[in-house]
Formats: sequence, C-alpha cells, structure tokens
Amino acid sequence: MTTCPNGKLIGLLRPMVKGKRSWREVGATGFRAWIRRHAFSLLSSLGSLARYPLASLMTVGVVGFAIAMPLSLQLALDNIERLSRHWERLDTLSVFLDQGLEQATIDRLTSRISTWEDVIAVDPISPEQGLGELSAQLGFAAAEEVLEDSPLPWVLEVTLATDSDRASIMARLGTEQGVAEVLADLQWLERLDAIAELLQQLAWLLAGLLAGGVAVVIGNTIRLDVQNRREEIEVLALVGATAAFIRRPFLYSGFWYGLLGGMLACLLLYAGLFSLQGPVNRLGQSYAATFQLIGPAPLITMLAILGSALFGLLGAWLAVGQHLRRIDP
Amino acid sequence: MISFQQVSKRYPGGVQALSDVSFELGAGEMAFLTGRSGAGKSTLLKLIALLERPTRGQVVFDGRNVGKVNRRQIPYLRRRIGVIFQDHRLLSDKRVFDNVALPLMIAGVSFGEIQRRVRAALDKVGLLDKEKMYPPMLSGGEQQRVGIARAIIARPPVLLADEPTGNLDPGLSAELMQTFLQLNQTGVTVLIASHDLALIKRLGQRVLVLDGGSIIDDLPKRQADRASETDG
Repeated sequence: MTTCPNGKLIGLLRPMVKGKRSWREVGATGFRAWIRRHAFSLLSSLGSLARYPLASLMTVGVVGFAIAMPLSLQLALDNIERLSRHWERLDTLSVFLDQGLEQATIDRLTSRISTWEDVIAVDPISPEQGLGELSAQLGFAAAEEVLEDSPLPWVLEVTLATDSDRASIMARLGTEQGVAEVLADLQWLERLDAIAELLQQLAWLLAGLLAGGVAVVIGNTIRLDVQNRREEIEVLALVGATAAFIRRPFLYSGFWYGLLGGMLACLLLYAGLFSLQGPVNRLGQSYAATFQLIGPAPLITMLAILGSALFGLLGAWLAVGQHLRRIDP
Repeated sequence: MISFQQVSKRYPGGVQALSDVSFELGAGEMAFLTGRSGAGKSTLLKLIALLERPTRGQVVFDGRNVGKVNRRQIPYLRRRIGVIFQDHRLLSDKRVFDNVALPLMIAGVSFGEIQRRVRAALDKVGLLDKEKMYPPMLSGGEQQRVGIARAIIARPPVLLADEPTGNLDPGLSAELMQTFLQLNQTGVTVLIASHDLALIKRLGQRVLVLDGGSIIDDLPKRQADRASETDG
C-alpha cells in the first residue's frame, strides 16, 4: 500500500497527539466546570457542618466568644471616649482674680478675655455668688451671715472651644494683670484618656491574640475533620481529584466556622448592649443627663465578621495542607 | 497502551515486590494477571495508576513515562484509568448514586449529564434500582459492581481491577467477568489481577503469570488472532 487514506492517518496520529498534550483535557474544562466544582465543594462543606451539628456549634461558639471579647472592649472604649468628650466640653477654666480689684477692672478683663480666640464664654462670679453656691452645696446657709466680708475672690469661669489649646490659654491667662491663679481640674480627664489609650492598645493586642486563637481553634477542628474523612480523601484522590479539589471543602468549612463565629460575636455584643441599656439610663438619670450607649459601627461589625471568616480560612488552610501532605494517598 | 520496561519495585524496608518486569499491553487488549498472593500483582497495578512509583525501569502509559509525571499531573493521569479494588473502596455514608458520580463531579460535569451517565453506568452493571441505597445495604457482589460503575463512568481508556472477584461466589464471579469482557469489547483496555485460575482458564484471555516479583509466563489469548503474543 503506497497511499494512506487520510482518515487512517488521522486515526493513527490522534493517540500520539493526545499523548503529547496535557492530560488535563480529560473532564470538563472552562468556567462552568469550575463553577460546578466549587458548588460541589460548597455543598460538601455545608454537609459536613450539618453532619455533626453539636461539634460545629461548639466550634462556632468558641470563635464567637473569642471575637466578642476584643470587640466588646473596643465598644466600651468607644463609649467612654464619647462620654469624656462630652465632659470636656462642659469643663471650664477657673480664673481666680486678685483680692480687692475694682468692678471696672473686672469688667474690662472679662470683656477682653471674651474676645480671645477659642474662648466661648466668660462668666464672672462675684464673691457673694460664690459664697452662695458654696453654702448651698455645703448645706449651711448661715455661712453668709457669719462671714460678713466674703473671703472669696472674684472668679471668671472661662469656657473654651472643644479643640482649643488648653495649656497655652492657661499660660496666657496667668500673665494677665490681676489674675492670681488659673485652675483647671483636668487631671482626672487626662488620666481617663491615658487609661482609655492603654485599654485601646490592650484591645488591639487582645484582638491579635484571639484572631490567632480563632485560626488555631478552626484549624484544629478542620484537622479532626480531615482525620474523620481520611477514607473519603483517599478515594477522591484515587478517582483523580486534584489536591485543590480535595482541599476546597475544608477551606469552605473553615470559612463558614469563622463567618458564623463572627456573626455570633456581633449577636452577643448586641445582646450585651441591650441588657446594659437599662442600667446606663438609670445612671444617666442620676446625673440628670441622658447617656445613650452606642453600638459598634457597621464597618467594625463587617470587619469583625469578615476578619473572623478570613482567619477561619487561614486556620483551615494551615491544617489541611499539613494533613493532606501526611496522608498523601 | 501500557508498557513495562525492566521495572523493579523495592519497598522501603527491603521488600522486593517486582524485579525486572517487562511486558506490553496494547490498546483495547485484555489480560489477566495471576500468581500467588505476594507475587506482586497489586504492586504492578499500583505502578500503573501511580499509587506507587517504580524503583527502577520505566512504566509507560499512553505514550508517557509514568515515573516522570509530576505530582500536579497525577490526578489527570488517574482520570484516564478506572481502578476496581477488592475491598470496593466505596464511601459508606454516600448513596450509590453519589459514589458512582464522584469521578464526574471531580471533572466538573453538569448535573444533568452526571445523572444521565450514572444511570447508564448503573444500568450496565444491573443496579439501576439501587441508586438511592447506601453501600452497606448492598451485598458484596453488588458493592463490587458499584465499584465497577464508578470505574467506568468517566469512560477511561484503561480499566484495572485488583482481585475483583476476591470474595464472591463462583456464579457472581463469572457474571462479573462477563461484564469485563463486554467492556473490553467496547474498546477498553482491561487488566485484571486475580488468582481464580479456573475462571481465568475458562475465559481464554491472555494471562500474565507473576511469581516472586517476575513474570514467569505470558500465555496468549486462546483464539484465532495470536497477534498480541509475546515472549515471557
């Protein structure tokens, strides 16, 4: 035979061509196949979560509590900070004037200071007024009668704008003629700020530690899951599943654990807020003010849930990679 | 399709499972692999499906040296080989349908297509009415046939079976072998490890005899075409 029919030639060549090309073409390829494989992994992961509901719930619970801790600390700090800002605004400087100044001098000083930038109001308090307030506070009205000549000096109550440079204004006030002393009882506010800052750092530290904890807890759960499904993994590998395909349901599981845990944490947080609202209101009433607890910002809530899910994914990734290598069917 | 060239396999610990094994199995051919237990039958099959790698020599599958296939390519090689195990290796917590569908799910085949092909495969092994059952509810023979359905579902060009009739009664064994013969007639290359000598003799197919890790005999197919005959 000198001629070779085309069909036969192609028939002979085909297996060779196939042999040289990648074996990857076996099985469906493309985006739709990819979607289908992911759908399979997703369903498989949900199935494994549902198969051991108690164990899954416990993992989600641990993650939830772990996430709730730094989140609630952060929330408490937010509220304290808001409250202290509120107090700062109410706070005034007390400028004690020299004894025996004339009314006109005091008036001039009052009007001059009130023109300063950052000064919202200047409120002069006469010695009589001061004594009246004092005796009312102390509860002995007789003081006024006893002390005919009031020993108290004039005091200017200076209210500053919120973000003003308190220290420089205090220094400037001190150089004014007739000013004896400038007082600002700010120390406790500064301390509160310092404490809040410390707690803020602590919250971040705690968040970091507990995020690691979340990864470890979820990683451990996934590790047990891998051990329980060892047989399934081996069979999958035997029928030609890629490592990525075998790994994927476990990664989804880790993601779910983290996501659900994050959601639980937010739920716990709102439950805590709800239970605290009553006592906080009563406390506010005793100060004749209304304190409203603020909830976490939507962004924080979203970040917490998403972050938790990502750390779940990370934990699963670490655990499953380690174990699949060890099983290696 | 499958070619062994001076293949040796030594397991860690010094057990020599195969030594200097050479044979060829053409596309569409069918052969039995026989020998006492421990002769190396399972190891030989494992080398083809890359469940083990040879210590020396070359295993060529579909024109490619299996020993040189990198890890990432192994799954794609395995998809071209249907493997049937003596212990079935079915997932007992998944229905028969899902067990058989596994290779297609891995390949990302659409559900409609999966349904169609799983039904066809189950029909072929006579288990269409058992698709909703779990493997432990089935008899040993039925489980073995589920394993076959799973092995053929993705239409691999090669079918390997390790003692598929290992714990079945003679009637069922003969039936199962008929299934393999049918598959072979559709063009699938079939290699079956078995020590059921009486059954193998009756079928008259090519027989490779292993002993102590070497091929000691290669009996050709007892039919008109003796083309595939090779020396042992």
